[in-house]
Amino acid sequence: MRKTVTGILAGIGFTLACGTSAFAQELTIFWAEWDPANYLQELVNEYEAETGVKVTVETTPWSDFQTKAFTEFNAKGSAYDMVVGDSQWIGAASEGGHYVDLTEFFNKHKLTEVMAPATVKYYAEYPSNSGKYWSVPAEGDAVGWSYRKDWFEDPKEMEAFKAKYGYDLGVPKDWKQLRDIAEFFHRPDEKRYGVAIYTDNSYDALVMGVENAIFSFGGELGDYANYKVDGIINSEQNVKALEAYKELYSFTPPGWAKSFFIEDNQAITENLAAMSMNYFAFFPALINEASNPNAKGTGFFANPPGPNGDQYAALGGQGISVVSYSENQEEAMKFLEWFIKDETQKKWAELGGYTASAKVLESPEFQNATPYNKAFYETMFKVKDFWATPEYAELLIAMNQRVYPFITGDQGTAKEVLDALAADWNATFKKYNRVK
Amino acid sequence: MAAVRTSGEIALNRVAIVAVLLITLIFLAPIYWITATAFKPRNLATTIPPTIVFTPEISPFVKLFTKRSQLREAPSPEEYEAAPWWERLIFDGGEKVVRSGRGEVQLSGYPDRFMNSLIVAITSTVLAVGMGTFTAYGFSRFKVKGEGDLLFFILSTRMLPPVVVAIPMFLMYRVVGLNDTHWGLIILYTAFNLSFSVWLMKGFMDEIPKEYEEAALVDGYTRMQAFFKVVLPEAATGIAATAVFCFITAWNEYAFALIMTNRRAQTAPPFIPSQVGSGLPDWTVIAAGTFLFLLPVAIFTFLLRNHLLRGMSFGAIRK
Amino acid sequence: MATAVMTTLDPKSRAASRGLSDISIRNLFIIPTIVFLIVFNIFPLIYSLGYSFTDFRASTNAPAKFVGLANYRALLNDPFIWSNFAITAKYVIVSVTGQVLVGFGVAMLLNRAIPFKGLITTLLLLPMMLSMAVVGLFWKLLYDPSWGVINYVLGLGNFEWLSNPDMALYAIAITDIWMWSPFVMLLSLAGLSAVPKHLYEAAAIDRAGSLYTFFRITLPLVAPILMIAIIFRTMEAFKTFDLAYILSSQPTTEVISIRLYKMAFQEWQTGMSCALAYIVLIMVLAITNIYVKYLNKVKER
Repeated sequence: MRKTVTGILAGIGFTLACGTSAFAQELTIFWAEWDPANYLQELVNEYEAETGVKVTVETTPWSDFQTKAFTEFNAKGSAYDMVVGDSQWIGAASEGGHYVDLTEFFNKHKLTEVMAPATVKYYAEYPSNSGKYWSVPAEGDAVGWSYRKDWFEDPKEMEAFKAKYGYDLGVPKDWKQLRDIAEFFHRPDEKRYGVAIYTDNSYDALVMGVENAIFSFGGELGDYANYKVDGIINSEQNVKALEAYKELYSFTPPGWAKSFFIEDNQAITENLAAMSMNYFAFFPALINEASNPNAKGTGFFANPPGPNGDQYAALGGQGISVVSYSENQEEAMKFLEWFIKDETQKKWAELGGYTASAKVLESPEFQNATPYNKAFYETMFKVKDFWATPEYAELLIAMNQRVYPFITGDQGTAKEVLDALAADWNATFKKYNRVK
Repeated sequence: MAAVRTSGEIALNRVAIVAVLLITLIFLAPIYWITATAFKPRNLATTIPPTIVFTPEISPFVKLFTKRSQLREAPSPEEYEAAPWWERLIFDGGEKVVRSGRGEVQLSGYPDRFMNSLIVAITSTVLAVGMGTFTAYGFSRFKVKGEGDLLFFILSTRMLPPVVVAIPMFLMYRVVGLNDTHWGLIILYTAFNLSFSVWLMKGFMDEIPKEYEEAALVDGYTRMQAFFKVVLPEAATGIAATAVFCFITAWNEYAFALIMTNRRAQTAPPFIPSQVGSGLPDWTVIAAGTFLFLLPVAIFTFLLRNHLLRGMSFGAIRK
Repeated sequence: MATAVMTTLDPKSRAASRGLSDISIRNLFIIPTIVFLIVFNIFPLIYSLGYSFTDFRASTNAPAKFVGLANYRALLNDPFIWSNFAITAKYVIVSVTGQVLVGFGVAMLLNRAIPFKGLITTLLLLPMMLSMAVVGLFWKLLYDPSWGVINYVLGLGNFEWLSNPDMALYAIAITDIWMWSPFVMLLSLAGLSAVPKHLYEAAAIDRAGSLYTFFRITLPLVAPILMIAIIFRTMEAFKTFDLAYILSSQPTTEVISIRLYKMAFQEWQTGMSCALAYIVLIMVLAITNIYVKYLNKVKER
């Protein structure tokens, strides 16, 4: 007994002594917990095979991805050498000195031409049009929709739908049809519901859901160049968009007030909803018959246009940046050189990653690889994003605080909510001397 | 209680017994559900009506320990045949094992976090109980000026919400580089448990008759020798009980671990809720991780049942 | 405080001629612990008190600027913060009341000749020994409106426990009650077993009703220990973070610890969060003081 105890203690002592020392031939990349991170792990395994440098992809769930990353940055920690960070972090991370300036690297490899324009604009450059780059676009992503093709193609349903709405049941061509179809399939008695949307307010899920409505209705969150928000975030289109989103909420399955990608995918696999909003990167689980019993009956479409024909989707996706506190920056730069090679990007797409490489995106192999890749390709040219200023986290929390009770709890009117939000944002911008 | 006399009381007693059994069942049901889910096939984890009878599977545990990724094409029959039994289980679940560049199977983050939990909990327990025993002896045997205030001060350090303490600790650790290290967490847990250990041990020390040491002193022992040779053996049960309580507290702690650790020193409690899976949650794997993590504490609870009352109430109440 | 330890020597203690003197042993045993606790518990608090008067943000390299009481003023004028405190208060009341009712009730039931009483008591203690964060996670599955076991067993259909803003706080409280009623039960059992049996016998001879016996004998004698349980649980419930954070992100369940966490580690308003931490700290100290008073009273008995 005593021997075992001594053994355990010695083991612990040893681990404590060497637990924190870094191995030179090792790189750690931090990302969120989802399929693309697993694909990236498979990709970097090839790097290890080529160079002997072991690369590990560490993940944490989306809900605390931002908190974990910034806690680590602000602790000036060296646990991660690179981070595949969200697009809206770039202001905070570059101004806070957390990211290594990649402008030189960018120019040397002419990445502005290699990568799709939207990804360069939103993932890499900060401030806008400054020509300063902080990350290499790694995973493109945007919001799309999955739907129950088998329900849509049921002749009985088609007939009933036509009788009720006067047009054919099919993939919605605009937000009005989206709403109609959601209403049509919303049958709580049959435990079938219309639509699954994002509502989780712990990070950016709800906000991105609402963005889809706002951008498609022709609205904006504000003027990103001069931080003007009043009259923009609380514009008439935005009021309508917010009301439309709230109406969609009334067609969601029960308990839909904290849902993000997992719940939205479950809505399809568990036969809960006819349509489900989700990021393209979460769709692999839906075409896998082991995880989705309805895989054969699941289809996909891009975010439909709003009443005036504006068609946009909320941008997701991330660029890969080098953490300035890393002890292996040189190794990390070498890795990036490898990562941007054409054949690496091609392989990345084959593994299931959403490359940002324009060449690969345009190739027919990519577009035909999955049932949703084409919709993804189309969407990537019609994306808009949230604020990327250093204080974006406060803006996000304010938006959650204002919008969430309205969407899920019937508090206030859309106009009141957005007016209050405009005031909150304005106050934040004043605090940081962005506006007078 | 007085002997049951009337038939009414007998009936009442029977009702009480049934009620107690029912309540016990209700209280244990969630724990049973965790255990059951840990051995279920994935498709039976979220069925309605709930699946009670099923063939237990080991696959959740295989998945718990391996890094996996979504299969996009079914494995070829040869590939499937060549795979060892545990890899087939993963294939059956529509996933594949992630391998390193050299073809080694990659482990999930779970074993590392479990190990971190062990390291941090055991080390901080040893420190807290060790220091606590000495201090408790000091308070128990010697007159200390302002003893009441000091003991209150010691106790009050445990009353603070962890987040309140975490903010300055985070800033201080940042200066000395203790964020996300085992030692950083060990120090926090030791500080947190020390007050508890002093209080509890003082109760145990007070119960050891002073005459034992006096006799030893008369026999020519020094005070130190008397402490180590006479007092410590007498206090062994108390020390063991205190140690288990400190261990359980450190083992279960969540808020500090969430804030102060990231990758290198992260313990299991903030990690397990983070493993919700990558496109769809796999509750069986979460249950398997939970089950393994709860097992030590469940065992300790049984070993400790006679000391529970005192431990939970800071020794304020004797049993 | 630490200096108090070193001053006077107890005249009655054996001034040992061999080895270390009693006083040095005493100091050796006590002072390291006190110093350790000061360095890692008190010093950080002083450190953060300083920051609470500045606009410091740990996320930027900008130096901290002294702003006086502005943080405190802003916090006390923020309606969101007040609602966080109100939510915390509501949570404390609901969950502690629930725990006392269930815990004391079960203790009353158990306080009689019941087969396997020891085993049953031990089994009932299991929930409170487990990790709140990890078990709380699992309750999410139990509460799920579409495939949760709770709704199925209770026949509640699609009842929304966690996503209904008005219900979520109660759902968290129920989980907390499940975890911590056993604690109240344990303390109550200790109190009940200390009630002298002859009092019950005397009451039986007087043909006193069971209600009378309960209110006149049982309750007054158990009350002091029950009070300890209540104060103990109140303090813990006030601190709640894990359960609420894991189970729900509803604005209606944002207890003060969660708000503090978000302010400090998501918005990185370090100075402001230090100020809020101090407001919370003062409240906790007030509760602790009451607690210690009761503790001493019970110990004197």
